[in-house]
Amino acid sequence: MALYTLSYDEADALADFARSHGITYPLLSDPDSEVIEAFGILNTLIDPDDHPWYGIPYPGVYLVDADGVIADKFFESSFMLRPSAEQLLRAALGEQLELPPVERVDGEVAVDVAFDGEMWWPGVVHDLVVRFAVPSGQHLYGEPVPDGMVATTVEVDDQVSLVVQPARLPPTSPHTLGTGETLQIFDGDVTVRVPMTHLGRALVPADDGRTVVRLTGTVRWQSCDDEACHLPRNESFSIEVPAAKHDSPASELEHPEGMDVRVRLGEMVSRRTDRPLGDIMREATAD
Amino acid sequence: MGDVMRDDAPYARRDESGLWEDRFGALGPVKPGRGPRQDPVGEFPTGPAIGERFPDVRVAAHSGDEVDVHADRAGRPMVFAFYRSAVW
Repeated sequence: MALYTLSYDEADALADFARSHGITYPLLSDPDSEVIEAFGILNTLIDPDDHPWYGIPYPGVYLVDADGVIADKFFESSFMLRPSAEQLLRAALGEQLELPPVERVDGEVAVDVAFDGEMWWPGVVHDLVVRFAVPSGQHLYGEPVPDGMVATTVEVDDQVSLVVQPARLPPTSPHTLGTGETLQIFDGDVTVRVPMTHLGRALVPADDGRTVVRLTGTVRWQSCDDEACHLPRNESFSIEVPAAKHDSPASELEHPEGMDVRVRLGEMVSRRTDRPLGDIMREATAD
Repeated sequence: MGDVMRDDAPYARRDESGLWEDRFGALGPVKPGRGPRQDPVGEFPTGPAIGERFPDVRVAAHSGDEVDVHADRAGRPMVFAFYRSAVW
């Protein structure tokens, strides 16, 4: 699979970035935002005189198949959020998560909660993966359900800077009961994915000394067979994901061999406007 | 698609360290709604649709060489990311 990235940086700044990060794939340079504009994704909320910010795209990633056709795309409303490699690989190649199978329980639904990623950088969107092993002959329900029944849901507890996106559930199919009522059921085992990221403020120390984000929440479901329904169930979960606080060019300042982002930003500004960087930053940060 | 709705960031507030908190609870020096933190709310353009051919892109790479993306990928599938900047 080929990888390309494109930004409105000059090629010399990108060469510096590639060097300091050991990047070998092509970092493409679109300093006049011509490609960004041709794609129709220029951030037009930014005034054309608002330098150096004008020219950035709404950030997004396209997945393109061997024939050159767009197979999927991932766009976010903020430059802080981006898909993870795990999400992209799954979209491109199918299921990539190598998890042990959920241990089945006789006659009962078994649930497993896992995180699709080994290291959680701020802004990188990973999936919380909730798997239900459903006994043969039983099924779980999707929304909507009639009063008194419980649909399959995953609720993640709020935390500061934790960004939880809507859950992705598999398609349901209609199932008509003996009473004539039609419900939406999942066929067989069910996997729910909840995309989410953190933005650096949800970190806690784990018992083993690692820094983690501790995700907690509740999984709800109800299973039925053709004759009867079991009582609705809910199960709390708590899992720890190794995580880091920083993921920005500013962190390069800590590395003597890294790109000097202050110099490079200064160059970008001076190419675009006569205004000093200090004035621009004061305006952007003021009340 | 109509005009993109601007997120006017009524939630923006400074924390005790002087950083600005945005709608996600992220802290940063730039006030939400200004500079690079001018974000859309609701629908916003995401470019060519799934199922369309990825447009031709011919631009300079960091090496200085011009790259024709479809020729360069040589029949491989690809991931193509548009991002803000490598310098901020």
